[in-house]
Amino acid sequence: MAKASLYQSLRNRKTEEKVSGLILIAPAFILLTIFVLVPLILSIYRSFFYYESGPNEAVFAGFQNYIRVFQDESFLRSLANVCIMTLFIVLLQVVGSFFFANILVRMKNKFGVFVRTIIYLPYLFSGIVVACIFTLLTYYNGGVINGILGKMNADPISFTGSTFWAYVAIIVPTIWVGGGYTTLIFYSGLINIPRSLYEAMAVDGASFWNTTFYLVLPSLKNYFVLTIVTLVTGSLQMFEIPMLMTNGQPLNKTMTPVLYLIHARANGNVPQSQIIAASIVIMIVIGAINAVVFCVTNRKEKKR
Amino acid sequence: MSSYGRQKKKTGGQIAITILLYVIAVIVLLNIAIPLFFGLISMFKNKNEIFTLDFHVFPQVWSTDNFSRLFYLQYTTIGVNFFASFGMTLLVAAIATLLSLFINSIAGYAFARLQFPGKKVLWIIVMATMFIPGITILLTSISVVAAMGMMNTIWVLIVPGLASAYNIFFFRQAYLGFPKDYDEAARVDGCDSIAIYFRIYLPNSATPMVIMGAGTFMGYYNSYLWPTLTIDSNHAQYTQIMTLINRLFNEASTLGYGAVLAAAFISLIPAVVVFAVIQRFIKEGISLTGVK
Repeated sequence: MAKASLYQSLRNRKTEEKVSGLILIAPAFILLTIFVLVPLILSIYRSFFYYESGPNEAVFAGFQNYIRVFQDESFLRSLANVCIMTLFIVLLQVVGSFFFANILVRMKNKFGVFVRTIIYLPYLFSGIVVACIFTLLTYYNGGVINGILGKMNADPISFTGSTFWAYVAIIVPTIWVGGGYTTLIFYSGLINIPRSLYEAMAVDGASFWNTTFYLVLPSLKNYFVLTIVTLVTGSLQMFEIPMLMTNGQPLNKTMTPVLYLIHARANGNVPQSQIIAASIVIMIVIGAINAVVFCVTNRKEKKR
Repeated sequence: MSSYGRQKKKTGGQIAITILLYVIAVIVLLNIAIPLFFGLISMFKNKNEIFTLDFHVFPQVWSTDNFSRLFYLQYTTIGVNFFASFGMTLLVAAIATLLSLFINSIAGYAFARLQFPGKKVLWIIVMATMFIPGITILLTSISVVAAMGMMNTIWVLIVPGLASAYNIFFFRQAYLGFPKDYDEAARVDGCDSIAIYFRIYLPNSATPMVIMGAGTFMGYYNSYLWPTLTIDSNHAQYTQIMTLINRLFNEASTLGYGAVLAAAFISLIPAVVVFAVIQRFIKEGISLTGVK
Protein backbone atom coordinates (compact mmCIF):
# COMPACT_ATOMS: atom_id res chain seq x y z
CA MET A 1 0.00 0.00 0.00
CA ALA A 2 2.74 2.41 1.00
CA LYS A 3 4.71 1.37 -2.06
CA ALA A 4 1.76 1.97 -4.31
CA SER A 5 1.12 5.42 -2.91
CA LEU A 6 4.81 6.35 -3.32
CA TYR A 7 4.63 5.15 -6.91
CA GLN A 8 1.41 7.05 -7.37
CA SER A 9 2.87 10.27 -5.98
CA LEU A 10 5.98 9.86 -8.13
CA ARG A 11 3.82 9.39 -11.20
CA ASN A 12 1.69 12.36 -10.24
CA ARG A 13 4.81 14.37 -9.71
CA LYS A 14 6.08 13.54 -13.18
CA THR A 15 2.79 14.53 -14.76
CA GLU A 16 2.70 17.65 -12.64
CA GLU A 17 6.25 18.56 -13.79
CA LYS A 18 5.32 18.06 -17.43
CA VAL A 19 2.28 20.29 -17.18
CA SER A 20 3.98 22.93 -15.04
CA GLY A 21 7.05 22.98 -17.28
CA LEU A 22 4.97 23.60 -20.37
CA ILE A 23 2.92 26.28 -18.59
CA LEU A 24 6.07 28.07 -17.39
CA ILE A 25 7.80 28.19 -20.77
CA ALA A 26 4.60 28.98 -22.67
CA PRO A 27 4.62 32.81 -22.36
CA ALA A 28 8.26 33.15 -23.44
CA PHE A 29 7.92 30.57 -26.19
CA ILE A 30 4.73 32.07 -27.62
CA LEU A 31 6.28 35.57 -27.62
CA LEU A 32 9.47 34.31 -29.29
CA THR A 33 7.35 32.53 -31.88
CA ILE A 34 5.21 35.57 -32.72
CA PHE A 35 7.94 38.20 -32.66
CA VAL A 36 11.03 36.27 -33.80
CA LEU A 37 10.22 32.99 -35.54
CA VAL A 38 7.19 34.16 -37.54
CA PRO A 39 8.99 37.32 -38.74
CA LEU A 40 12.02 35.18 -39.66
CA ILE A 41 9.93 32.74 -41.70
CA LEU A 42 8.09 35.68 -43.24
CA SER A 43 11.43 37.31 -44.13
CA ILE A 44 12.72 34.16 -45.80
CA TYR A 45 9.40 33.74 -47.63
CA ARG A 46 9.21 37.35 -48.84
CA SER A 47 12.81 37.33 -50.01
CA PHE A 48 11.72 34.88 -52.74
CA PHE A 49 8.80 36.97 -54.05
CA TYR A 50 8.19 40.21 -55.89
CA TYR A 51 5.53 42.55 -54.55
CA GLU A 52 4.92 44.67 -57.63
CA SER A 53 1.49 46.03 -56.74
CA GLY A 54 0.95 45.70 -53.02
CA PRO A 55 1.61 42.98 -50.48
CA ASN A 56 -1.30 40.80 -51.64
CA GLU A 57 -0.01 40.28 -55.17
CA ALA A 58 3.11 38.24 -54.76
CA VAL A 59 4.93 36.82 -57.76
CA PHE A 60 7.48 34.10 -57.21
CA ALA A 61 10.90 35.50 -57.91
CA GLY A 62 13.27 32.63 -57.24
CA PHE A 63 16.69 34.01 -56.36
CA GLN A 64 16.06 37.25 -58.30
CA ASN A 65 15.96 39.38 -55.13
CA TYR A 66 19.27 37.91 -54.00
CA ILE A 67 20.81 38.43 -57.43
CA ARG A 68 19.73 42.07 -57.26
CA VAL A 69 21.28 42.37 -53.79
CA PHE A 70 24.61 41.17 -55.18
CA GLN A 71 24.30 43.58 -58.12
CA ASP A 72 23.67 46.48 -55.74
CA GLU A 73 27.10 48.08 -55.50
CA SER A 74 26.10 50.46 -52.71
CA PHE A 75 25.03 47.57 -50.53
CA LEU A 76 28.14 45.52 -51.26
CA ARG A 77 30.31 48.53 -50.50
CA SER A 78 28.49 49.07 -47.20
CA LEU A 79 29.13 45.42 -46.35
CA ALA A 80 32.83 45.83 -47.15
CA ASN A 81 32.99 49.05 -45.08
CA VAL A 82 31.44 47.45 -42.06
CA CYS A 83 33.78 44.44 -42.33
CA ILE A 84 36.81 46.75 -42.29
CA MET A 85 35.46 48.73 -39.34
CA THR A 86 34.58 45.51 -37.50
CA LEU A 87 38.12 44.22 -38.04
CA PHE A 88 39.60 47.37 -36.48
CA ILE A 89 37.09 47.40 -33.61
CA VAL A 90 37.67 43.74 -32.78
CA LEU A 91 41.47 44.03 -32.98
CA LEU A 92 41.75 47.26 -30.99
CA GLN A 93 39.10 46.43 -28.43
CA VAL A 94 40.15 42.82 -27.76
CA VAL A 95 43.88 43.58 -27.54
CA GLY A 96 43.33 46.80 -25.57
CA SER A 97 40.86 45.22 -23.15
CA PHE A 98 43.02 42.16 -22.56
CA PHE A 99 46.03 44.41 -21.93
CA PHE A 100 44.10 46.67 -19.56
CA ALA A 101 42.53 43.71 -17.73
CA ASN A 102 46.08 42.47 -17.02
CA ILE A 103 46.83 45.87 -15.51
CA LEU A 104 43.67 45.85 -13.39
CA VAL A 105 44.49 42.41 -11.97
CA ARG A 106 47.68 43.91 -10.55
CA MET A 107 45.83 46.77 -8.82
CA LYS A 108 44.60 45.35 -5.57
CA ASN A 109 43.70 48.61 -3.81
CA LYS A 110 40.74 50.97 -3.68
CA PHE A 111 41.89 52.76 -6.84
CA GLY A 112 41.73 49.46 -8.74
CA VAL A 113 38.18 48.88 -7.49
CA PHE A 114 37.27 52.42 -8.56
CA VAL A 115 38.64 51.94 -12.07
CA ARG A 116 36.93 48.56 -12.44
CA THR A 117 33.64 50.14 -11.46
CA ILE A 118 33.80 53.30 -13.54
CA ILE A 119 34.88 51.71 -16.84
CA TYR A 120 31.52 49.92 -16.98
CA LEU A 121 29.50 53.16 -17.02
CA PRO A 122 29.69 54.04 -20.78
CA TYR A 123 28.33 50.57 -21.60
CA LEU A 124 24.94 51.72 -20.29
CA PHE A 125 24.79 54.73 -22.64
CA SER A 126 22.84 54.59 -25.88
CA GLY A 127 24.62 54.99 -29.21
CA ILE A 128 22.49 58.04 -29.97
CA VAL A 129 23.62 59.92 -26.85
CA VAL A 130 27.25 58.86 -27.23
CA ALA A 131 27.23 60.09 -30.83
CA CYS A 132 25.73 63.43 -29.69
CA ILE A 133 28.57 63.83 -27.18
CA PHE A 134 31.30 62.87 -29.66
CA THR A 135 29.87 65.09 -32.39
CA LEU A 136 30.60 68.01 -30.05
CA LEU A 137 34.25 66.96 -30.24
CA THR A 138 34.47 66.20 -33.97
CA TYR A 139 32.28 68.93 -35.50
CA TYR A 140 34.20 70.71 -38.28
CA ASN A 141 33.31 74.33 -37.55
CA GLY A 142 34.18 74.90 -33.94
CA GLY A 143 34.02 71.42 -32.44
CA VAL A 144 36.25 70.89 -29.40
CA ILE A 145 39.06 69.15 -31.29
CA ASN A 146 39.21 71.75 -34.06
CA GLY A 147 38.81 74.52 -31.47
CA ILE A 148 41.90 73.31 -29.64
CA LEU A 149 43.78 72.78 -32.94
CA GLY A 150 42.82 76.33 -33.90
CA LYS A 151 44.29 77.68 -30.65
CA MET A 152 47.52 75.89 -31.56
CA ASN A 153 47.35 77.31 -35.11
CA ALA A 154 47.11 73.80 -36.54
CA ASP A 155 44.93 72.84 -39.51
CA PRO A 156 41.43 71.68 -38.60
CA ILE A 157 40.48 68.03 -39.12
CA SER A 158 37.44 67.22 -41.24
CA PHE A 159 36.06 64.04 -39.73
CA THR A 160 33.66 63.57 -42.61
CA GLY A 161 36.13 64.65 -45.26
CA SER A 162 38.56 61.75 -45.31
CA THR A 163 37.99 58.02 -44.97
CA PHE A 164 40.63 57.70 -42.26
CA TRP A 165 39.17 60.37 -39.97
CA ALA A 166 35.62 59.18 -40.64
CA TYR A 167 36.67 55.71 -39.47
CA VAL A 168 38.24 57.29 -36.39
CA ALA A 169 35.00 59.21 -35.70
CA ILE A 170 33.07 55.91 -35.69
CA ILE A 171 35.54 53.47 -34.17
CA VAL A 172 36.64 55.61 -31.21
CA PRO A 173 33.12 56.19 -29.79
CA THR A 174 32.24 52.53 -30.41
CA ILE A 175 35.22 51.34 -28.38
CA TRP A 176 34.57 54.09 -25.82
CA VAL A 177 31.17 52.51 -25.15
CA GLY A 178 32.13 48.84 -25.05
CA GLY A 179 35.81 48.74 -24.08
CA GLY A 180 35.21 48.82 -20.33
CA TYR A 181 32.74 45.96 -20.50
CA THR A 182 35.12 43.72 -22.49
CA THR A 183 37.89 44.62 -20.04
CA LEU A 184 35.69 43.40 -17.17
CA ILE A 185 34.99 40.13 -19.02
CA PHE A 186 38.73 39.49 -19.41
CA TYR A 187 39.29 40.62 -15.81
CA SER A 188 36.81 38.05 -14.51
CA GLY A 189 38.57 35.43 -16.62
CA LEU A 190 41.98 36.37 -15.26
CA ILE A 191 40.94 36.20 -11.60
CA ASN A 192 39.41 32.76 -12.23
CA ILE A 193 42.79 31.25 -13.17
CA PRO A 194 43.94 29.34 -10.06
CA ARG A 195 46.94 30.92 -8.34
CA SER A 196 48.59 27.50 -8.04
CA LEU A 197 49.02 27.37 -11.83
CA TYR A 198 50.89 30.68 -11.80
CA GLU A 199 53.07 29.39 -8.98
CA ALA A 200 53.80 26.16 -10.87
CA MET A 201 54.87 28.22 -13.89
CA ALA A 202 57.08 30.38 -11.65
CA VAL A 203 58.71 27.27 -10.11
CA ASP A 204 59.50 26.04 -13.63
CA GLY A 205 61.19 29.40 -14.25
CA ALA A 206 58.74 30.54 -16.92
CA SER A 207 59.08 34.13 -18.10
CA PHE A 208 56.20 36.63 -18.20
CA TRP A 209 55.66 35.95 -21.92
CA ASN A 210 55.73 32.19 -21.44
CA THR A 211 53.16 32.50 -18.69
CA THR A 212 50.99 34.65 -20.95
CA PHE A 213 51.21 32.34 -23.98
CA TYR A 214 51.08 28.94 -22.30
CA LEU A 215 48.83 29.65 -19.30
CA VAL A 216 46.81 32.86 -19.60
CA LEU A 217 45.76 32.82 -23.27
CA PRO A 218 44.68 29.14 -23.33
CA SER A 219 42.77 29.58 -20.04
CA LEU A 220 40.92 32.57 -21.46
CA LYS A 221 40.06 30.90 -24.79
CA ASN A 222 36.32 30.92 -24.17
CA TYR A 223 36.43 34.53 -23.00
CA PHE A 224 38.10 35.49 -26.28
CA VAL A 225 35.54 33.54 -28.32
CA LEU A 226 32.61 35.13 -26.45
CA THR A 227 34.06 38.63 -26.77
CA ILE A 228 34.93 38.30 -30.46
CA VAL A 229 31.56 36.75 -31.38
CA THR A 230 29.66 39.46 -29.48
CA LEU A 231 31.76 42.22 -31.01
CA VAL A 232 31.48 40.85 -34.55
CA THR A 233 27.71 40.40 -34.26
CA GLY A 234 27.24 43.87 -32.79
CA SER A 235 29.68 45.74 -35.03
CA LEU A 236 28.36 44.25 -38.28
CA GLN A 237 24.92 45.62 -37.35
CA MET A 238 26.08 49.00 -36.08
CA PHE A 239 24.27 52.04 -37.33
CA GLU A 240 23.39 54.54 -34.56
CA ILE A 241 26.92 55.89 -34.12
CA PRO A 242 27.72 55.86 -37.88
CA MET A 243 24.35 57.52 -38.62
CA LEU A 244 25.02 60.49 -36.34
CA MET A 245 28.81 60.74 -36.62
CA THR A 246 29.28 60.59 -40.41
CA ASN A 247 26.01 59.38 -41.99
CA GLY A 248 28.00 57.48 -44.59
CA GLN A 249 30.33 60.31 -45.53
CA PRO A 250 32.71 60.68 -47.25
CA LEU A 251 31.22 59.23 -50.46
CA ASN A 252 29.49 56.36 -48.62
CA LYS A 253 32.84 55.12 -47.31
CA THR A 254 31.36 54.73 -43.82
CA MET A 255 27.89 53.58 -44.90
CA THR A 256 26.96 50.45 -42.95
CA PRO A 257 24.54 47.81 -44.28
CA VAL A 258 21.88 48.46 -41.63
CA LEU A 259 22.07 52.21 -42.17
CA TYR A 260 21.89 51.64 -45.93
CA LEU A 261 18.79 49.45 -45.61
CA ILE A 262 17.07 51.97 -43.32
CA HIS A 263 17.82 54.76 -45.80
CA ALA A 264 16.64 52.58 -48.68
CA ARG A 265 13.38 51.83 -46.85
CA ALA A 266 12.80 55.50 -46.04
CA ASN A 267 13.59 56.65 -49.58
CA GLY A 268 11.60 53.83 -51.19
CA ASN A 269 14.19 53.47 -53.95
CA VAL A 270 14.82 49.77 -53.29
CA PRO A 271 11.96 47.22 -53.36
CA GLN A 272 10.93 45.95 -49.92
CA SER A 273 11.60 42.31 -50.86
CA GLN A 274 15.13 43.18 -51.97
CA ILE A 275 15.76 44.93 -48.63
CA ILE A 276 14.58 41.79 -46.87
CA ALA A 277 16.83 39.60 -49.04
CA ALA A 278 19.72 41.90 -48.16
CA SER A 279 18.92 41.58 -44.45
CA ILE A 280 19.07 37.80 -44.80
CA VAL A 281 22.44 38.15 -46.52
CA ILE A 282 23.57 40.12 -43.43
CA MET A 283 22.42 37.25 -41.20
CA ILE A 284 24.36 34.75 -43.31
CA VAL A 285 27.50 36.94 -43.24
CA ILE A 286 27.33 37.28 -39.44
CA GLY A 287 26.75 33.54 -39.06
CA ALA A 288 29.63 32.70 -41.40
CA ILE A 289 32.11 35.00 -39.65
CA ASN A 290 31.13 33.63 -36.24
CA ALA A 291 31.48 30.08 -37.56
CA VAL A 292 35.01 30.92 -38.72
CA VAL A 293 35.83 32.32 -35.26
CA PHE A 294 34.61 29.09 -33.63
CA CYS A 295 36.53 26.89 -36.09
CA VAL A 296 39.80 28.81 -35.73
CA THR A 297 39.74 28.66 -31.94
CA ASN A 298 38.83 24.97 -31.90
CA ARG A 299 41.60 24.04 -34.31
CA LYS A 300 44.12 25.83 -32.11
CA GLU A 301 42.98 23.77 -29.17
CA LYS A 302 43.48 20.50 -31.07
CA LYS A 303 47.03 21.52 -31.96
CA ARG A 304 47.77 22.10 -28.32
CA MET B 1 74.93 41.70 0.51
CA SER B 2 74.90 41.14 -3.21
CA SER B 3 71.59 39.38 -3.03
CA TYR B 4 70.19 42.30 -1.05
CA GLY B 5 71.39 44.67 -3.74
CA ARG B 6 69.84 42.59 -6.51
CA GLN B 7 66.56 42.42 -4.68
CA LYS B 8 66.56 46.17 -4.19
CA LYS B 9 67.20 46.70 -7.89
CA LYS B 10 64.28 44.41 -8.77
CA THR B 11 62.06 46.33 -6.36
CA GLY B 12 63.07 49.53 -8.12
CA GLY B 13 62.01 48.03 -11.46
CA GLN B 14 58.77 46.85 -9.94
CA ILE B 15 58.06 50.34 -8.64
CA ALA B 16 58.65 51.72 -12.12
CA ILE B 17 56.24 49.15 -13.59
CA THR B 18 53.66 49.93 -10.91
CA ILE B 19 53.89 53.63 -11.70
CA LEU B 20 53.50 52.85 -15.40
CA LEU B 21 50.40 50.76 -14.68
CA TYR B 22 48.84 53.60 -12.71
CA VAL B 23 49.69 56.10 -15.45
CA ILE B 24 47.92 53.87 -18.01
CA ALA B 25 44.90 53.49 -15.71
CA VAL B 26 44.69 57.27 -15.25
CA ILE B 27 44.92 57.76 -19.04
CA VAL B 28 42.03 55.31 -19.52
CA LEU B 29 39.95 57.15 -16.93
CA LEU B 30 40.71 60.48 -18.62
CA ASN B 31 39.64 59.02 -21.96
CA ILE B 32 36.29 58.13 -20.44
CA ALA B 33 35.96 61.45 -18.64
CA ILE B 34 37.08 63.96 -21.31
CA PRO B 35 34.14 63.61 -23.76
CA LEU B 36 31.71 63.71 -20.82
CA PHE B 37 33.48 66.73 -19.36
CA PHE B 38 33.28 68.75 -22.59
CA GLY B 39 29.68 67.71 -23.07
CA LEU B 40 28.68 68.72 -19.55
CA ILE B 41 30.50 72.06 -19.80
CA SER B 42 29.09 72.89 -23.23
CA MET B 43 25.49 72.43 -22.07
CA PHE B 44 25.93 75.77 -20.30
CA LYS B 45 27.25 77.62 -23.35
CA ASN B 46 24.70 79.76 -25.14
CA LYS B 47 23.83 79.25 -28.78
CA ASN B 48 26.47 81.66 -30.12
CA GLU B 49 29.27 80.25 -28.05
CA ILE B 50 29.00 76.60 -29.02
CA PHE B 51 30.59 75.69 -32.37
CA THR B 52 32.42 78.99 -32.88
CA LEU B 53 35.93 79.31 -34.16
CA ASP B 54 36.79 81.34 -31.05
CA PHE B 55 36.99 78.27 -28.83
CA HIS B 56 36.96 78.43 -25.03
CA VAL B 57 36.87 75.38 -22.77
CA PHE B 58 34.56 77.01 -20.23
CA PRO B 59 31.50 79.10 -21.15
CA GLN B 60 32.20 82.83 -21.24
CA VAL B 61 28.69 83.36 -19.91
CA TRP B 62 27.11 80.47 -17.98
CA SER B 63 23.62 80.14 -19.35
CA THR B 64 20.73 77.79 -18.66
CA ASP B 65 18.95 78.68 -21.92
CA ASN B 66 19.55 75.18 -23.27
CA PHE B 67 17.55 73.66 -20.43
CA SER B 68 14.70 76.17 -20.62
CA ARG B 69 14.51 75.46 -24.35
CA LEU B 70 13.65 71.85 -23.55
CA PHE B 71 10.50 73.01 -21.75
CA TYR B 72 9.13 74.56 -24.95
CA LEU B 73 9.85 71.75 -27.43
CA GLN B 74 6.14 70.91 -27.76
CA TYR B 75 5.50 74.39 -29.17
CA THR B 76 8.22 74.10 -31.84
CA THR B 77 8.32 72.04 -35.04
CA ILE B 78 9.44 69.11 -32.86
CA GLY B 79 5.99 69.03 -31.28
CA VAL B 80 6.92 66.66 -28.47
CA ASN B 81 7.01 67.45 -24.78
CA PHE B 82 10.54 66.48 -23.72
CA PHE B 83 9.74 65.62 -20.11
CA ALA B 84 6.56 63.74 -21.02
CA SER B 85 8.60 61.69 -23.50
CA PHE B 86 11.26 61.09 -20.83
CA GLY B 87 8.55 59.92 -18.41
CA MET B 88 6.82 57.75 -21.03
CA THR B 89 10.13 56.08 -21.90
CA LEU B 90 10.81 55.34 -18.22
CA LEU B 91 7.28 53.97 -17.83
CA VAL B 92 7.60 51.71 -20.88
CA ALA B 93 11.02 50.47 -19.74
CA ALA B 94 9.78 49.83 -16.19
CA ILE B 95 6.65 47.88 -17.23
CA ALA B 96 8.62 45.93 -19.83
CA THR B 97 11.38 45.09 -17.36
CA LEU B 98 8.96 43.71 -14.76
CA LEU B 99 7.07 41.60 -17.32
CA SER B 100 10.25 40.47 -19.02
CA LEU B 101 11.92 39.37 -15.77
CA PHE B 102 8.86 37.32 -14.87
CA ILE B 103 8.39 35.69 -18.28
CA ASN B 104 12.07 34.86 -18.77
CA SER B 105 12.79 33.71 -15.23
CA ILE B 106 9.90 31.22 -15.17
CA ALA B 107 11.12 29.85 -18.51
CA GLY B 108 14.70 29.72 -17.22
CA TYR B 109 13.49 27.87 -14.13
CA ALA B 110 11.55 25.35 -16.21
CA PHE B 111 14.55 24.69 -18.46
CA ALA B 112 16.86 24.37 -15.44
CA ARG B 113 14.77 22.14 -13.18
CA LEU B 114 11.71 20.54 -14.78
CA GLN B 115 11.34 17.57 -17.12
CA PHE B 116 8.69 18.15 -19.76
CA PRO B 117 8.02 16.79 -23.24
CA GLY B 118 9.95 18.46 -26.06
CA LYS B 119 12.33 20.19 -23.66
CA LYS B 120 15.44 19.59 -25.77
CA VAL B 121 13.87 20.73 -29.03
CA LEU B 122 12.29 23.78 -27.41
CA TRP B 123 15.64 24.69 -25.83
CA ILE B 124 17.40 24.48 -29.19
CA ILE B 125 14.72 26.66 -30.81
CA VAL B 126 14.94 29.23 -28.01
CA MET B 127 18.74 29.36 -28.21
CA ALA B 128 18.61 29.62 -32.02
CA THR B 129 16.59 32.85 -31.75
CA MET B 130 19.65 34.43 -30.11
CA PHE B 131 21.51 34.22 -33.41
CA ILE B 132 18.93 36.02 -35.52
CA PRO B 133 20.07 39.60 -36.14
CA GLY B 134 17.50 42.29 -35.40
CA ILE B 135 17.76 43.75 -38.91
CA THR B 136 16.77 40.42 -40.51
CA ILE B 137 13.37 40.42 -38.83
CA LEU B 138 12.87 44.18 -38.56
CA LEU B 139 10.57 44.78 -41.53
CA THR B 140 8.54 41.61 -41.12
CA SER B 141 8.16 42.26 -37.38
CA ILE B 142 6.58 45.57 -38.33
CA SER B 143 4.16 43.64 -40.59
CA VAL B 144 3.35 41.31 -37.68
CA VAL B 145 2.65 44.08 -35.15
CA ALA B 146 0.68 45.98 -37.79
CA ALA B 147 -1.45 42.90 -38.44
CA MET B 148 -2.06 42.63 -34.70
CA GLY B 149 -3.20 46.27 -34.59
CA MET B 150 -0.42 47.25 -32.23
CA MET B 151 1.10 50.08 -34.28
CA ASN B 152 1.17 53.47 -32.51
CA THR B 153 0.18 52.03 -29.15
CA ILE B 154 2.19 51.59 -25.98
CA TRP B 155 2.04 47.81 -26.55
CA VAL B 156 4.19 47.91 -29.67
CA LEU B 157 6.93 49.41 -27.53
CA ILE B 158 6.61 46.84 -24.74
CA VAL B 159 5.46 43.43 -25.97
CA PRO B 160 7.69 42.40 -28.91
CA GLY B 161 10.91 42.57 -26.88
CA LEU B 162 9.68 40.87 -23.72
CA ALA B 163 10.90 37.31 -24.32
CA SER B 164 14.66 37.10 -24.68
CA ALA B 165 16.68 33.96 -25.28
CA TYR B 166 19.67 35.62 -23.69
CA ASN B 167 17.75 36.33 -20.47
CA ILE B 168 16.26 32.82 -20.40
CA PHE B 169 19.75 31.38 -20.81
CA PHE B 170 21.02 33.60 -18.02
CA PHE B 171 18.24 32.68 -15.59
CA ARG B 172 18.67 28.98 -16.38
CA GLN B 173 22.38 29.35 -15.67
CA ALA B 174 21.67 31.08 -12.34
CA TYR B 175 19.04 28.52 -11.28
CA LEU B 176 21.27 25.56 -12.16
CA GLY B 177 23.54 26.84 -9.39
CA PHE B 178 20.75 26.65 -6.79
CA PRO B 179 20.95 23.64 -4.41
CA LYS B 180 18.40 20.99 -5.40
CA ASP B 181 17.78 19.93 -1.78
CA TYR B 182 15.40 22.84 -1.27
CA ASP B 183 13.18 21.57 -4.10
CA GLU B 184 12.97 18.15 -2.51
CA ALA B 185 12.19 19.60 0.92
CA ALA B 186 9.46 21.77 -0.60
CA ARG B 187 8.00 18.76 -2.47
CA VAL B 188 7.80 16.81 0.77
CA ASP B 189 5.84 19.76 2.15
CA GLY B 190 3.45 19.38 -0.76
CA CYS B 191 4.59 22.14 -3.10
CA ASP B 192 4.19 21.64 -6.83
CA SER B 193 6.74 22.92 -9.39
CA ILE B 194 5.06 26.30 -9.81
CA ALA B 195 4.84 26.85 -6.06
CA ILE B 196 8.53 25.96 -5.74
CA TYR B 197 9.37 28.74 -8.18
CA PHE B 198 7.36 31.30 -6.21
CA ARG B 199 8.44 30.13 -2.75
CA ILE B 200 12.12 29.27 -3.32
CA TYR B 201 13.51 30.42 -6.64
CA LEU B 202 11.87 33.84 -6.99
CA PRO B 203 12.70 35.05 -3.44
CA ASN B 204 16.33 33.97 -3.88
CA SER B 205 16.97 35.46 -7.31
CA ALA B 206 17.78 39.03 -6.27
CA THR B 207 21.18 38.98 -7.99
CA PRO B 208 20.09 37.63 -11.39
CA MET B 209 16.96 39.80 -11.24
CA VAL B 210 19.00 42.96 -10.63
CA ILE B 211 21.56 42.14 -13.33
CA MET B 212 19.03 41.08 -15.97
CA GLY B 213 16.64 43.82 -14.90
CA ALA B 214 19.32 46.46 -15.41
CA GLY B 215 20.20 45.11 -18.85
CA THR B 216 16.58 44.82 -19.94
CA PHE B 217 15.69 48.26 -18.58
CA MET B 218 18.59 49.95 -20.37
CA GLY B 219 17.88 47.98 -23.54
CA TYR B 220 14.33 49.29 -23.63
CA TYR B 221 15.28 52.76 -22.50
CA ASN B 222 18.08 53.12 -25.08
CA SER B 223 16.25 51.61 -28.02
CA TYR B 224 15.98 53.89 -31.01
CA LEU B 225 15.12 52.09 -34.23
CA TRP B 226 12.03 50.09 -33.21
CA PRO B 227 10.20 53.01 -31.47
CA THR B 228 11.08 55.29 -34.39
CA LEU B 229 9.55 52.94 -36.95
CA THR B 230 6.45 51.90 -34.99
CA ILE B 231 5.27 55.24 -33.54
CA ASP B 232 4.37 57.96 -36.02
CA SER B 233 4.26 61.71 -35.44
CA ASN B 234 0.48 61.69 -34.90
CA HIS B 235 1.06 59.74 -31.69
CA ALA B 236 3.64 62.05 -30.15
CA GLN B 237 2.66 61.02 -26.62
CA TYR B 238 4.46 57.70 -27.17
CA THR B 239 7.64 59.23 -28.62
CA GLN B 240 10.58 57.51 -26.96
CA ILE B 241 13.47 59.57 -25.68
CA MET B 242 16.16 58.32 -28.10
CA THR B 243 13.90 58.98 -31.09
CA LEU B 244 13.37 62.48 -29.74
CA ILE B 245 17.08 63.12 -29.15
CA ASN B 246 17.85 61.99 -32.69
CA ARG B 247 15.26 64.47 -33.97
CA LEU B 248 16.78 67.23 -31.83
CA PHE B 249 20.18 66.30 -33.28
CA ASN B 250 18.80 66.71 -36.80
CA GLU B 251 17.27 70.08 -35.83
CA ALA B 252 20.44 71.26 -34.10
CA SER B 253 20.91 74.19 -36.48
CA THR B 254 17.68 75.83 -35.27
CA LEU B 255 17.66 74.60 -31.66
CA GLY B 256 21.35 75.04 -30.94
CA TYR B 257 23.63 72.15 -30.15
CA GLY B 258 23.63 73.02 -26.44
CA ALA B 259 19.98 72.03 -26.23
CA VAL B 260 20.80 68.67 -27.87
CA LEU B 261 23.52 68.11 -25.28
CA ALA B 262 21.23 69.17 -22.44
CA ALA B 263 18.62 66.64 -23.61
CA ALA B 264 21.29 63.98 -24.07
CA PHE B 265 22.71 64.43 -20.58
CA ILE B 266 19.28 64.51 -18.92
CA SER B 267 18.57 61.24 -20.73
CA LEU B 268 21.70 59.75 -19.14
CA ILE B 269 20.32 60.15 -15.60
CA PRO B 270 18.56 56.73 -15.58
CA ALA B 271 21.78 55.10 -16.83
CA VAL B 272 23.73 56.64 -13.96
CA VAL B 273 21.08 55.56 -11.43
CA VAL B 274 21.10 52.01 -12.82
CA PHE B 275 24.89 52.06 -12.69
CA ALA B 276 24.82 53.10 -9.03
CA VAL B 277 22.38 50.31 -8.20
CA ILE B 278 24.17 47.49 -10.01
CA GLN B 279 27.83 48.33 -9.51
CA ARG B 280 28.29 45.84 -6.70
CA PHE B 281 26.62 43.16 -8.84
CA ILE B 282 28.71 43.75 -11.97
CA LYS B 283 31.49 41.28 -11.18
CA GLU B 284 29.07 38.52 -10.22
CA GLY B 285 26.98 39.31 -13.29
CA ILE B 286 29.86 38.86 -15.68
CA SER B 287 30.91 35.57 -14.10
CA LEU B 288 27.30 34.40 -14.44
CA THR B 289 26.80 35.33 -18.07
CA GLY B 290 27.83 31.90 -19.15
CA VAL B 291 31.54 32.06 -19.91
CA LYS B 292 33.06 28.85 -18.72
